Amino acid sequence: MLARVANNLFWMGRYIERSEHTARYLNVNYFSSLDAPNEVSQSRQFVLRSMLNMVGDPVSNPNTHLDEKEVLHNISLNQNNYYSIIASVKHARENANSARDLISTELYEAINKSYHFVLNYPSDFLTEKGLYDFTVNINEMMAVLKTKIKGTLLQDEIYAIIMMGVTLERAIQIIRIINAKYDDALEAKDEHSAVTNSFEWITLLKCAESYDMMRRHYKKTPNNINTLEFLILNPNCPRSVMNSLNELYHHIQLLDQNKYHNKDSTSFLVGKIRAEYEFKVIEEISDQLKDFVENILNQLISISTKMENEYFNY
Amino acid sequence: MSTNTNTTHPIFSSYERKEGFFDEIFDEKGNPKEIYKKLFEIYGGHSIEDFINLNNKARASFFNQGITFQVYGDNQVKEKIFPFDLFPRIIHPSEWEIIEKGAIQRSKALNLFLHDIYHDKKIIKQGIVPAEMISSSENYLHQMMDLDPPGGIYNHVSGTDLIKHSDGKYYVLEDNIRCPSGVSYVVCNRTALKRALFGVFNHYKAHTVTNYAENLLEMMESVKPHGVDIPNCVVLTPGIYNSAYYEHSYLAKAMGVELVEGRDLFVENNFVYMKTITGPERVDVIYRRIDDQFIDPFEFKSDSSLGVPGLFSVYKQGNVCLVNAPGTGVADDKAIYTYMPDIIKYYLDEEPILNNVHTYHCSRPDELKYVLENIDKLVVKPVDEAGGYGVTIGNRLTKEEIKNVQEQIKASPRKYIAQPIMSLSLHATYIDDSKSFEPRHIDLRTFTLLGKDTEFVLKGGLTRVALQKGNLIVNSSQGGGSKDTWVLKK
Amino acid sequence: MNLEYTVRYHARNQYETLVKSAVWQFLIQPENNDNQTVLDAHFSSSVDGRVDPTINGLGFEAIRYSVDIPFNEINFEASYKVIKEPINPFDLLHQERKKDMEVFNTLKFKADFEPYLRVTPLTQISDKSTFTFNAETSTFNQLQELNSWVYNYIEFQAGVTSVQTTASKVLSLGRGVCQDFTHLFCAICRANGIPSRYVSGYLHQGLGYSGDAQLHAWAESYLPKVGWVGFDPTNNLLTNQDHIKICHGKDYQDCAPLKGVIYAVGNGNNSTEHTVQVSAQQ
Repeated sequence: MLARVANNLFWMGRYIERSEHTARYLNVNYFSSLDAPNEVSQSRQFVLRSMLNMVGDPVSNPNTHLDEKEVLHNISLNQNNYYSIIASVKHARENANSARDLISTELYEAINKSYHFVLNYPSDFLTEKGLYDFTVNINEMMAVLKTKIKGTLLQDEIYAIIMMGVTLERAIQIIRIINAKYDDALEAKDEHSAVTNSFEWITLLKCAESYDMMRRHYKKTPNNINTLEFLILNPNCPRSVMNSLNELYHHIQLLDQNKYHNKDSTSFLVGKIRAEYEFKVIEEISDQLKDFVENILNQLISISTKMENEYFNY
Repeated sequence: MSTNTNTTHPIFSSYERKEGFFDEIFDEKGNPKEIYKKLFEIYGGHSIEDFINLNNKARASFFNQGITFQVYGDNQVKEKIFPFDLFPRIIHPSEWEIIEKGAIQRSKALNLFLHDIYHDKKIIKQGIVPAEMISSSENYLHQMMDLDPPGGIYNHVSGTDLIKHSDGKYYVLEDNIRCPSGVSYVVCNRTALKRALFGVFNHYKAHTVTNYAENLLEMMESVKPHGVDIPNCVVLTPGIYNSAYYEHSYLAKAMGVELVEGRDLFVENNFVYMKTITGPERVDVIYRRIDDQFIDPFEFKSDSSLGVPGLFSVYKQGNVCLVNAPGTGVADDKAIYTYMPDIIKYYLDEEPILNNVHTYHCSRPDELKYVLENIDKLVVKPVDEAGGYGVTIGNRLTKEEIKNVQEQIKASPRKYIAQPIMSLSLHATYIDDSKSFEPRHIDLRTFTLLGKDTEFVLKGGLTRVALQKGNLIVNSSQGGGSKDTWVLKK
Repeated sequence: MNLEYTVRYHARNQYETLVKSAVWQFLIQPENNDNQTVLDAHFSSSVDGRVDPTINGLGFEAIRYSVDIPFNEINFEASYKVIKEPINPFDLLHQERKKDMEVFNTLKFKADFEPYLRVTPLTQISDKSTFTFNAETSTFNQLQELNSWVYNYIEFQAGVTSVQTTASKVLSLGRGVCQDFTHLFCAICRANGIPSRYVSGYLHQGLGYSGDAQLHAWAESYLPKVGWVGFDPTNNLLTNQDHIKICHGKDYQDCAPLKGVIYAVGNGNNSTEHTVQVSAQQ
């Protein structure tokens, strides 16, 4: 497989996953805030700030007044914004275009269809009454794409590279969501509520589509400890960082079939990071969440860089 | 003058035959020709609604498959599909036999011509083709002098554009031997027609068109560099923004070879390699869909980022084969076209099988006389202008304008050639606006492959349709569509 | 008497933005021909990379150099030892102008010498009457007159023209450097049916000639029964033992000493400086 095409497929996977998380974050935060228990969490400005924080474009000045329509348009349909959903879907399609001779017709046609859906979605409608419809549709379309990836591709190196992109991006997005919601929890606390059992932890779980499963697992109200434990360390939660690391390790094995790992290889690095988290306890993380966030993001980025050097850069 | 056809079915009610043009479907009395009778019967059994429906489905199928080209609008890039017509063109086996033999003859003659003008230039030294044809051509590449391409082939892929004139004979309008495109549409059109109206195939025995890719690969393997056992073949594309990108990816997929861009390739130790996830892999035969000027910034356009630095030097040393060879463009210039009958006779000692449009050279006194007396019936072209500049079409000129043209020619007869005005034949084409079939002008592009000891003509071809009423230009950039083309088995 | 020369070529390339990888092609090595022999060749660079000796499209020896590590500045050094044999063009047999013209007018000759009779964008002139050939004196003598004419017509001045300046433009400017002298010389010859080619090379320094700290350019014209004869219109000379030839072509485009393809981060300016040193020992 061509190195450039491998790179494109890796990024196609990343953009598909990214679109899904951005769409869900918009949906969950907006609609949870409508009837949130405390004033801060209910404030529209607070929600819009949270959205911008999550996509990586935070507003530092607390006095800046944000325009709802503008923020929603920027994050979903503004083509000139690198973090918008439309930009991600467009990039996913462009990357697929350059590899269309390698992927299945059904997968390509589904990507093409998603692209035309986003491209033709009227911005006015979205910002006035279409937010729910748009974000739910994006989530469903991305789910279809991932089904086509799993169900129609040969499970060889091409598949492994796409899945590396999908799972790496998932881990990164989950961390970003945790980070944004942690900031929200700090800001929303008042004399009646502590950070440890904020309403924002529930929103966080919903943003990762893990609320129902978390309740089933712990049978307790979400607080900072059990939420973070579930989303970071629980290997059975399909959205957790640990689960993503396991998946990454599985897929890199498909690419790197050496019996003994070269210590400079991606495969070795993924294994090492995975081993570190496999035996971590949540107390090591929850005390210094910010440090953890920074550290794990750097580790995930180092995997991406390693892959680039090893596979995409001849 | 025009007459309606004898058919009473509403979908053909607005079909008006035009005098002075060859009608592919109806005879002089307005009855469908023998070969189309069955098709006519079947189509007549459908309602207008059926056709609207089928037409929309065919369109959606093209769109979802991403078989589109891009149109650059005000501030957005729009995607469009090439309009596809539901009424197929049928070619009788005896007619096809001539086309096929003629296309191979032209390809072979052009190959010998290219070899000659890049070696001894005998045809020029003997005065058969004027020296200016080379010395004034920007497509003549001195880098190709005395170079022997693997297998001795220059124009591996040729696209021959043919029309049927009012006399019912085929004429060649153009030989395309740089990077002729369109073959993927031949396959798509067949697929689309099969999906829409599969029943019609039960009544006709048409040759398949899906065997093009395997023949292309076989041809490419036949021109492998010396010393290579199983050659690694690739398709080189300018990238996803090129209007023919769909075709490039289709060909790579159908042949099962890699689709590469210039940046995927590099040159080392005078071999070409592609960059794969497991390291460099040698490349032996490149079907390049990039124009000569862009293939190697060290040898041609130095600011090109589409090509591969050093590629040409590898080619020169015989370590890679380029399909088609660089420098073929010199032989498909309009001026060379007029010498094709002489070129065929010179190299093959054969009479041309396919007609060339007759060319009058104003440099010859008796021909000059004819031209001056018949300007209203001729297309007058300057010899050395490309791209349609200074072309006059006689039947569209006023008396005054004719006088002007006569004066111009008299002033410098050597500068002009003239050709009869060609009339493209008509074919039934589904028209959205009138919701019925109307006559439209068509041409035919055939695809010929020439390899080492192999030759192949795709039994089918791209029938292009001028969708605007009365328009004679079938180019896709001018809003042309296309039709599935059936070559019947004997 | 044979002369031994040492040619040193130095190029320094600077880039405003970081270059991630690059590949260059150098056309700077003296050719081996009837009166010059390359004894020793050496090529090096300040940034580690891969040297690939190769033959370019027109058949001359070239060096390809590729680098895959990031840099902002790179220096190249090449040195060649060359033996030159003496030449005396006046010894050659020159025939009558009439006989030359008969040969020039045959189809065979026009076909064989097509590249060097071709009018390229750089060797196009609109006014062909500036220098006229007559039918009496020998072609060789008239080419010498043309050589002096071009020498006198153009004032040597650096910085007013570039490698893209056409002969037409030079004719109207009246100023330029060695490429311009050579393009104009070739243009006039070709307009009169005499095959002429652009030559790139080195010139022995220290004799006060123009164009000696850089690569030099001159012309070669073809004379029937004689062959290619070199004219240096920049210095009003016939080429001699001081002219060390690299390659020839239709015009500068075919002979550019350095071509590069740079993969950089973002856009930025770049600059190239060449210096050349030629010294002789007997």
